[in-house]
Amino acid sequence: MDWATQVVSVVQAATVLLLAPLLAGIGYRLKAWTESRTGPSIFQPYFDLAKYLRKETLLPDGASRIFFVAPFVAFGAYLLISVVVPIITPYPIPFAPTVDFLGGGLLFGLAGTVTLLAAVDSGSNYAILGASRTVSFAAFAEPTLIIVFFAVAVITGTNNPYVTNNLLASSTSAYLSPTHLLVTAAFFLLLLAETGKLPVESTGLMEFGMLEDGRIFEHSGRLLGINRWNGWLKQFLLYSVFVNVFAFPWGLSGDVSAPGTLWNIVLLLAKLLALVGVIVLVEATVAKVRLFKIRDFLALSFSLAVLAVFAFAVLGVP
Amino acid sequence: MDPTAEVIALVGIGILLTALYLQSESFVDPLIRGISLQSLLLAVLLGWLAWTEQSIDLALLAGLAVVVRAIFIPYVLRRQIRAFRWRLREIHAAHRVTGHALAAVALAIIAWFVFQETLASVFPQPGAALPFVLMIQGLLMLATRTNTIVQVIGYLEEENAVVYAGALFAQAFPLFVEVVVFLDVLGVVLVAVILSIQRDVTGTPEEAALEELSG
Repeated sequence: MDWATQVVSVVQAATVLLLAPLLAGIGYRLKAWTESRTGPSIFQPYFDLAKYLRKETLLPDGASRIFFVAPFVAFGAYLLISVVVPIITPYPIPFAPTVDFLGGGLLFGLAGTVTLLAAVDSGSNYAILGASRTVSFAAFAEPTLIIVFFAVAVITGTNNPYVTNNLLASSTSAYLSPTHLLVTAAFFLLLLAETGKLPVESTGLMEFGMLEDGRIFEHSGRLLGINRWNGWLKQFLLYSVFVNVFAFPWGLSGDVSAPGTLWNIVLLLAKLLALVGVIVLVEATVAKVRLFKIRDFLALSFSLAVLAVFAFAVLGVP
Repeated sequence: MDPTAEVIALVGIGILLTALYLQSESFVDPLIRGISLQSLLLAVLLGWLAWTEQSIDLALLAGLAVVVRAIFIPYVLRRQIRAFRWRLREIHAAHRVTGHALAAVALAIIAWFVFQETLASVFPQPGAALPFVLMIQGLLMLATRTNTIVQVIGYLEEENAVVYAGALFAQAFPLFVEVVVFLDVLGVVLVAVILSIQRDVTGTPEEAALEELSG
């Protein structure tokens, strides 16, 4: 194992851990601008995190160790994902061969499942309501994710995100193929749903339609801080996969050196800022759908993903 | 990949997407805009083929598709619903969006398999199954909707499929047949509009039955 790529792995994990709150902060600030508000500082998530980590942690009566351990297990899963998917490198880093797209999806699933278990373990009606809603809609979202993986697999003949990145960056016809365009659209809709954006979910603990926030209703202090960080990490990782593998695969430097890595970090930030801008635009222009219409939204995403595979079968091009 | 194949692929998927949209939309006005967009995409395909094959017939068809299908028929239908605001929504379909979208995708896949087993050997070109799939989508719309205007839109979708097949297998359909298809649609739209106006004016029970052409 080459020591330079190991260092890049550590840098990549640190980039994800440290920049995830910043990306969330920029998103909040931009969203505030679209609502004619000044909005919080882009560093507010860091201040919040510091505050949560200093606060006392209260555990609900009857909660078992699952409630306490779950945020840390989820954090570990996201940390592991951050060293296996292409975030700041177009070349595989040492842990990359351990998982493919499906493996990454399972790690996301692990993090989501332990958070659900903690919600159920809390015994709180609100948290269980959030968990129940999340599972109801995940039943529509997960098949979409699997079909997206299938579509990626038919484009490249493999389920490896690095190969996908390289193929799409080097082949215009593969990038412009109907299969890729449809799968990108399906993944974008899924991204909005998975990261709790409008039209699926509006953030805030007192929202009637809360999904993700409902699950961590009973967590407080350090556990709440870790859960919040998990949310930002999930968002950062999904955004990174979307920009590097699906939407903007170009420009990453294959140079395993400090300048090459620095360039890749700056480029990633630029891509993510563009994506955040698009998502804020979407949030500013669409209304929240009613809770039971969310499945319609996810059905649309699922249909697009199926059509992506269908397009490959019918048109015979990747 | 040659440009014509890419245009056929992209326009084909665009048409399929509009078909999916039409299946899952409950409101009539967006449905009319959807069928207009689908016709426009068809006209783009016809225009491209006319350009590459230097065919006057196809150029005429592209022009007819824009004027008749993308502009005139949607205009007539929209005027009709503007006069009667209660027609803006098809209430029966409002709660079945997920079901309709998934049924449309499932039926598209079944249609593709049927095409592979039956017609694929005659029409081996990439994308040859799409007109067949589109026709089945139009049939699904006719079968699942109860609003007269929406059913007319389903019929228009079927006719789009016929023209689409004609465009892909241009040698098979002479211009005369294509023009008859266009005028046929025009006739159906005018008859549907006249019947529904007559029903709205007189409001007799016999004519009220025309509102739901479910038989």
